[in-house]
Amino acid sequence: MTATDQKPQIEFIDVDKHYGSFHALKAINLAIPKGQFVALVGPSGCGKSTLLRTLAGLEKITSGTLNIAGERVNDIPPRKRDLAMVFQSYALYPHMNVRDNLTYALRLKGVSKAERARKADEVAAVIGLDNLLDRKPRELSGGQRQRVAMGRAIIREPKAFLFDEPLSNLDASLRVRMRKEIRALHDRIGSTSVYVTHDQIEAMTMADHVVVMQAGVIEQQGAPLTLYEKPVNRFVAGFIGSPAMNFVPATVDDTGQTIRLDLKGQPTIAIARRFPPGTHVVAGLRPEHVDIGDPDAAGYAPIKISAVEATGSATYLFSDDDPELIIVAAGGHSARAGDTVGFKIAPDRVHLFDPKTGITLGD
Amino acid sequence: MSALNENRKNAVLFTIALVIAAIYLFPLYWMYVTSLKTNSSIFAVPPEFLPGAPQWQTYALIWNESDILRYLKNSIFIATGVTLVTVIVGAGAAYVLARYRSIWIDIALFTILMLQVLPPSLMVTPIFVAFTSLGILEYPRIGTILAISAKTMPFFVILCRAAFMSIPRELEEAALVDGNSRAGAFVMIVLPLARNGILVAALLIFMQGFGEYVYSASLIADNRLQPASIGMTNYLQPNVVTWNAIMAFAATYVTPILAAFVLLQRKIVSGLTSGALK
Ligand SMILES: Nc1ncnc2c1ncn2[C@@H]1O[C@H](COP(=O)(O)OP(=O)(O)O)[C@@H](O)[C@H]1O
Ligand SMILES: [Mg+2]
Repeated sequence: MTATDQKPQIEFIDVDKHYGSFHALKAINLAIPKGQFVALVGPSGCGKSTLLRTLAGLEKITSGTLNIAGERVNDIPPRKRDLAMVFQSYALYPHMNVRDNLTYALRLKGVSKAERARKADEVAAVIGLDNLLDRKPRELSGGQRQRVAMGRAIIREPKAFLFDEPLSNLDASLRVRMRKEIRALHDRIGSTSVYVTHDQIEAMTMADHVVVMQAGVIEQQGAPLTLYEKPVNRFVAGFIGSPAMNFVPATVDDTGQTIRLDLKGQPTIAIARRFPPGTHVVAGLRPEHVDIGDPDAAGYAPIKISAVEATGSATYLFSDDDPELIIVAAGGHSARAGDTVGFKIAPDRVHLFDPKTGITLGD
Repeated sequence: MSALNENRKNAVLFTIALVIAAIYLFPLYWMYVTSLKTNSSIFAVPPEFLPGAPQWQTYALIWNESDILRYLKNSIFIATGVTLVTVIVGAGAAYVLARYRSIWIDIALFTILMLQVLPPSLMVTPIFVAFTSLGILEYPRIGTILAISAKTMPFFVILCRAAFMSIPRELEEAALVDGNSRAGAFVMIVLPLARNGILVAALLIFMQGFGEYVYSASLIADNRLQPASIGMTNYLQPNVVTWNAIMAFAATYVTPILAAFVLLQRKIVSGLTSGALK
C-alpha cells in the first residue's frame, strides 16, 4: 500500500456550519477510508442532510477543513467535486426521458452520443430498467424512479456516492430489498458511499461504519455492533436497537455490586462493576437481553405484565410500571396480561448511565 | 330534491354568466357590425343589430388609403421590443427573487408591486422629462419600449417568479452535482421546465405592448413612428367622423390578437394556473 491509499477518501476536520445564527453542524470530525460504506443516522433535524450537502458542495462550510481524495475542497463548487448524489425526492429531470436522465452527467462531460447510449444500456441492465429508457419520469412507479436515481449515480465513476434517505419513499418490502441491492452495488463497484438515514436498522444493516448524530453533533461513530454493545451515552444506547433500550432510574446498594431499580417492589439486579454505594444511576436494559422465568425462582425479580403483543417470531411483554419496561420473549411465550413473571438480566449486559449527563458509566 | 335545486342553481348561474359575457362582448360585436354598415345605417333609429348589406369595401378603403400597414408595423415593433426587454430582464430578476430568501428580496418584491400600482398617465411626465434630457427621445419608439417595459415588468416578474418557484430546488442541485454550473443548470433545467409559464406571460406582455396607448401617444410625436392605437384616433377628425372606417381599422387591428388569444386560450389558462411540471 502506498501512502496515498491510506489517506481517507473523505475527511471532515473540525467542520462547523451555521445557517445565520443557527448552528447546524458542530465540530464535525469524520474520516472515511476509500471503499467504506458509512451511514449517517440520527433523528430528523439533527443535521444529517446538512452534513451530506456540505460534502456535495451544495452548502458552504463555515469553518474547518473538508478534504476529498486528499484535496481541500472547501471552496470547490459541486461540479468539480466529482461526487454522485441520490436525493430523497430522486430529483429526476422531469423533461428528460430515463436515458437522458441517466446520461446527463456524461453529456456535461462531453462524452459522445454513441458512448452515452452504450453506457445507458449497460446501466439499465444493471439496475433492471431495460425497457424503460424512453419513458419520462412521470410514467414510472416510485420504485422505478428510485432505480433511475441510482442509475444516474452509478453511470459515473465518482469519488464517492452520497445518498440522502433514498429509500424513505418506498414501501416496506421494497425498502428491505433495495437495502441489499444498494449494498451489493457498493461492493461490486468498490466505491466509497455516504448514506444518510433516520432509520437505525437501515444504518446497522448496510454500513461498515455508523455515525450517530444529534443536534449537529456526532455522538458516536464506529462499527454497527460496537455502537450496539458499547454505546458511549444514553442517546446512542436508546437510538440504536429495536425495540429501544429500557431506561430505569436506580440506586447502587450497600454492597456496591447490585442496584435497586426504581420500579414497583424495588427489584435488585447484579452489575458487573463496583460503584460507590448510594450512587444514583440510570440502568439501561435491552428488551432482548432480559430473561423471563418463574418469579419465585432464585435470581428472578417479579414484574407484573400489563400487555402482551405476539408477532409470532417474538412476544413483546409490557410491564405495569413507570417507566414501562418492554421485554422481548421467545415467540409463543405463554404470558398474559395481568400475570406476574420473573425477570433476570446478566450483569455484564446492564448498561449504566449518569442520570445528569447521560454519559455511560464504567469501562 | 337537492339535485333539482342544484340544477336550477346552475341554470341561474349560467344565465348570469351569459348576460355578463354578453355585456362585455357587446362593444366588440358592435365594432364588427358597425364596420360593415353604411354611414347612414350607423345612425338609424332604432339601431340595426345586423348590417343590411355588409360593406366590405370599407376594409379595402382603409387598407389602401390609410397607413394602417405602417401603423401595424410600428405596433408590432413596439410590442416585440417590449416583450424582449421584459422577458430577458424579467426572467433573470424573477429567478433571483424566486431562489433567494432575505428581507431585501421582500423589499424588492414590494417595490415591484408598487410600480404596478402607479398609472402610466402619472408616470409619463417624469419619464418624458428624463428621456428628453438623456437623449433617448431621439429614438422615440425605443424610448416608448423602455417606458412600457417598466410598466409590464412587475406583472411579468410576478408570473414568472411563480413559475420558477414551482420547480423544486433539488432539480438544480442534482444538475450541479452532475457537473453543471449554476448558469448551466438555469438554462438546461429551470428554463425548459418554466417554459410554458414564461411563454404565456410573454404572450400577455406582447398583447399589452400591442395595445398600449398612453406612452406611445406622449412619447412619439412623429406620425410615421406611431403605432396603430394612435393611428386609429387620427381618424377622429373634427368635422367628419367616419365611424365605419374607424371600426374597420379597429377590427383589423385587434382581430389577429383576438384570434391568437382564442386559439391559445387553453394553453394560457393552464400555463397561468398549473405548475410548470405538468
Ligand atoms: N437552508 C437552511 N437555512 C436554515 N436552517 C436550515 C437550512 N437547512 C436546514 N436547516 C436546519 O438545520 C437543521 C438540520 O437540518 P437537516 O440537515 O436537513 O436535518 P436532517 O438530519 O433531518 O437531514 C434543521 O434544524 C433545519 O431546520
Ligand atoms: Mg434530511
